[in-house]
Amino acid sequence: MSALTPPNSEVDLAGAMRAALAAYSQGPGSGKGTTSDLSMDEELNLHAIGWEPVEFVTGLSVYSTPPMTWSWGQGEISAASYSHEQAFQLAMARLHRQAASVGAHGVVGVEVERSIHASHTEISLMGTAVRPVGAAAIDADHVFTSDLSARDFTLLMLAGWEPLGLAAGASFVFAPRRSMGAVMSQQTQNVELTNFTEAMYSARETAMERMQSAALAMKGTGVVEVKVFEGPMYFASHAVGFTAWGTVVRLREEQHRHVSPTMVVSLDDVDIAFSADTLG
Amino acid sequence: MTSEPTDLPEAAERRMTSGAFTSGLSVADFAACLEMGLEPVGFAQGFCAMQWSPLGSSMSNAMSPYRSTTGGGYSEMFNCPHGFVSNDHRQWGQNYEQTWYESAWHTGFDAALQRMVEEATEAGAHGVVGVVDSQQVMGDGYLLEFHLSGTAVKIPGAPALQQAPFTTYLAGQRLAKVVEAGYAPVGVVATLSSVRMWPFCITEYQLHGSGLSMFATGVSTSEIDQVVRAKSYSRQIARDAAKHALHGDSLHGARVTTSERELGQGEIDYHTVIRGNRIRRFQDFKALPVPQPTVRLS
Amino acid sequence: MAKEQGDLPEATGHRLEELEKGLFTSDLSVNEFLLVKEAGFHPVGFVMGSSIYHIGIQTRKWGQSQELTKLTEAMYNARELAMTRMEEEAAQLGADGVVGVRLDVNYYEWGSDAAEFIAVGTAVKAEDGVSRLNTLGKPFTSDLSGQDFWTLSQTGYAPQGLVMGTCVYHIAHRGLAATLGSAGQNVELPNFTQALYEARELAMTRMQDEANRLGATGIVGVRLEEKSHQWGSHTIEFLALGTAVDKTGAPVTLTRPTTIISLDN
Repeated sequence: MSALTPPNSEVDLAGAMRAALAAYSQGPGSGKGTTSDLSMDEELNLHAIGWEPVEFVTGLSVYSTPPMTWSWGQGEISAASYSHEQAFQLAMARLHRQAASVGAHGVVGVEVERSIHASHTEISLMGTAVRPVGAAAIDADHVFTSDLSARDFTLLMLAGWEPLGLAAGASFVFAPRRSMGAVMSQQTQNVELTNFTEAMYSARETAMERMQSAALAMKGTGVVEVKVFEGPMYFASHAVGFTAWGTVVRLREEQHRHVSPTMVVSLDDVDIAFSADTLG
Repeated sequence: MTSEPTDLPEAAERRMTSGAFTSGLSVADFAACLEMGLEPVGFAQGFCAMQWSPLGSSMSNAMSPYRSTTGGGYSEMFNCPHGFVSNDHRQWGQNYEQTWYESAWHTGFDAALQRMVEEATEAGAHGVVGVVDSQQVMGDGYLLEFHLSGTAVKIPGAPALQQAPFTTYLAGQRLAKVVEAGYAPVGVVATLSSVRMWPFCITEYQLHGSGLSMFATGVSTSEIDQVVRAKSYSRQIARDAAKHALHGDSLHGARVTTSERELGQGEIDYHTVIRGNRIRRFQDFKALPVPQPTVRLS
Repeated sequence: MAKEQGDLPEATGHRLEELEKGLFTSDLSVNEFLLVKEAGFHPVGFVMGSSIYHIGIQTRKWGQSQELTKLTEAMYNARELAMTRMEEEAAQLGADGVVGVRLDVNYYEWGSDAAEFIAVGTAVKAEDGVSRLNTLGKPFTSDLSGQDFWTLSQTGYAPQGLVMGTCVYHIAHRGLAATLGSAGQNVELPNFTQALYEARELAMTRMQDEANRLGATGIVGVRLEEKSHQWGSHTIEFLALGTAVDKTGAPVTLTRPTTIISLDN
C-alpha cells in the first residue's frame, strides 16, 4: 500500500548501499536491537503513524479434554467448548505478558494456530509486539492483541479506530441421528432435515455469540476480519465444531475518518503480491 | 565432500575466479542489485553434513531416574504424586533441552555458512545476497545436511573489507527497501532449539487417556502443564539464542518454524527454528509521508 | 415438525440482540471495511443462514442427456432457504443489505444425500438513514467484495440482490460401440457439447429471470460454477451467480484512474 520508489526518484540507493557497507565494517553499536517478523513495508507503515516494532512474542496453551467427551451423545459437547475457551484465554494471557514485559503497547500480525485433538486442544500464538516510538511501558491490561497485519493496523489507526484484542468463540455439537423410519421416507424426497438444521444452526450461532460476548467484555464496538471455521473432527466425524475469531475494535476519536482512496490501474501484466517470505 | 573446514573443493576455486558469473538472482532482483550499485560476481555455496549421536534413544532403557544434562540447558522433572501403582505406571517424567543436538545443528549450519562466505571472499565480494538455506534430515534422523547458497556481490570502487563479506536472505527490492530505510545488512541468523519431553503419568493420561484409568476421577481437566512448558521453553530458547547472536543489532524478517516428532514410548521432541536477517542502523528513518491508499481496478 | 419456510431457529435470537444494541461484527477485511464506510455504509453484523437438505434420489437414463429436474429443484430450494434465513437476520438488524455473500455446500459423513447449504455475509446499513432496500422491500444481497461494492457505488448503480440460476444435468454415456469407434481420433463429442451448452443456458436464463423479477437493469460479476457434488462425473450442477443492479439517482463520481507501474516483482 505504501508508494514504492519510482525509478527516477531522488533517493540515492547506491550511496545508501555504500554507507551501509561502511556501517557493516565498523562493527556493532551499543544499541539494544529489536526482533520482528514484519516485512520492511510493514515497518515503514508503522513508522508513518509513529509506531515501531519491539520484539517477536509468543504464547501457547495445551488444554486437556476428558476421555469420554467425544463418545456419541446429544446436543452441545460442552467439555470440548470449555477446553477450547480455556486454551485460547491462557495462550492470549501468555502473549500479553510477554508483550508487556518488553514494554510493548500491543501485538500485531498474530498468527493463530489451532489444533483440536481427541484428548486436548492446542492454541499457539505468534506475533510482533509494537509500541509508539520511544514510549514507556504500560499496564499489561491495556496491551492490545490483534491478528491484523501491521499494514491493516496502520490503516485502521489512520481511520480513527484502535484494536483492543482478539475475541474468539467456539461451540461443538453432536450431529443428530435420524430414525430408521425417517430415513426410509426421505429416500426419494427433496426435503429439509429440520433437526439437523436446527442443531447446526444452533452451534454456529452459539460460537458467534460467544465471540461477541468476549468483544463486549473488552468494551469494543465492533469485530473485524471475523474468520469462521466449521467442520467435523478428524477423529470423530459425528462431532462438528464451529469457531469464530476476529479483532475487536473501537473508535478512538470522535468519528470515523474517511480515507478517500485513489483509483488506480496497474500497467503490469501480472499482479504479484509482495510476500514476506524471503527464504527458499 | 570431505574437505577440511577451511579448504574449498578445487572445482569451487576454479569456478569462483573465472570470468562470467552465474547468479541465482531473478531478472528483477538483478535489476535491483544494479540500482543499489551492487555487481554480482558469482554464485557462492557451502555444504556440511553432520552426524550426531543420539545418546540413548529411549528413556525406558535408562536405569537411573535422571537424565544427565551436562551442557547446561533447560531441564525439569515431573514427579508422580500417586505412590506405587504398578510397574507400567510412570513415576517420573522430564523435559530437557538436547544441547548436544542443538550444538551439532549449529556447527553444521555455521560450517556451511562459512564455506559459502569463503567462496564469496575468493571472488572478491563485499557481500552475499539472496541466501537460500535448506536442511535435510537423513538416515533416520542422525544425519543432517546443510546447504547454503547465494549471490556474491561487490560494490565497485568501495574499499576491500577487513572482514568476511556480509550475508543476507534478502535480495532485490526487499533488500533495496531495507537499505533505503537506513539499515545495513550484516548477516543471516539461524538458531534451533530442541527440547525432549518424556511424559510422566499425568501427562501420559492427558495425552492418550491411558495408564491412569483408576485415577481418572482424580485428574480434572486442566492444562497439560508438561507439554506447555516443553514447547514454551523451546520457543524461548530459540528466541534468546537469536537475540544473543545479534550483538546489539536487530533481527528483521524473522521466520519461526516449529515441529514435533514423536518417538517410541510417547517421548516427543519439540523443535523451534528461527531464521532472520541481522541488520544494523546506519541512518535514522526519514520522516515518511502517510501512505496514500489506492484501489486497484483490475 | 416441518418448520415454515423462513423461520429462524431460536438460537439466533440472542446473538442478533447483541448486534442490535450496537456491537457490529463483520468478516470484511480492514480494506473492505474502510471502503464500505467510503461508500456511505456501516457494517451492522455478520449474518448467516443455513439449511440441511436431503436431496432425493432421481433415476436417470444412462443413455440420455437430460436435466434432472428434481435435483435442480433441490439444489435451488436448499440455497433459497439458506439465503432467505440470512436475509431475515439482516432484516431483523434493520440493515439495508448484505455484502460479500458467500454460498457454500458442506458434506458430512453422517448424511449421505444430505448436504448443508450455507449463506454468510456482512449486513450493512446506509449512514445517511435513507432506505436502500430493494424493489421487493427487502435488504439487498450481493456477493460483491468491499472493493467492488465501493466501485459500484461510484458508478451510480446499486445492488438489488444476489441472483442465481441452477441446472443439474445428466450427460449421456456414449454407447460402447460408439466409444470404441472413435478411440484414438480427434473428434468433437457432440453429446457433451450439446449437453453442456443446454445446461449452461438453462442456468443463465434462470438467473436472468430472477434479475427481471427484481426489476434490475443488469447483472454484474457473473460467474458460472460447475460441480459434480456427490453424483459421479456424468451429473453436473451448473450454477450461475451474479449481482443484479439498478441505476439509482445517485451521481456518477467515477474519476479517471491514475495509472501506476507497480515495481513489485
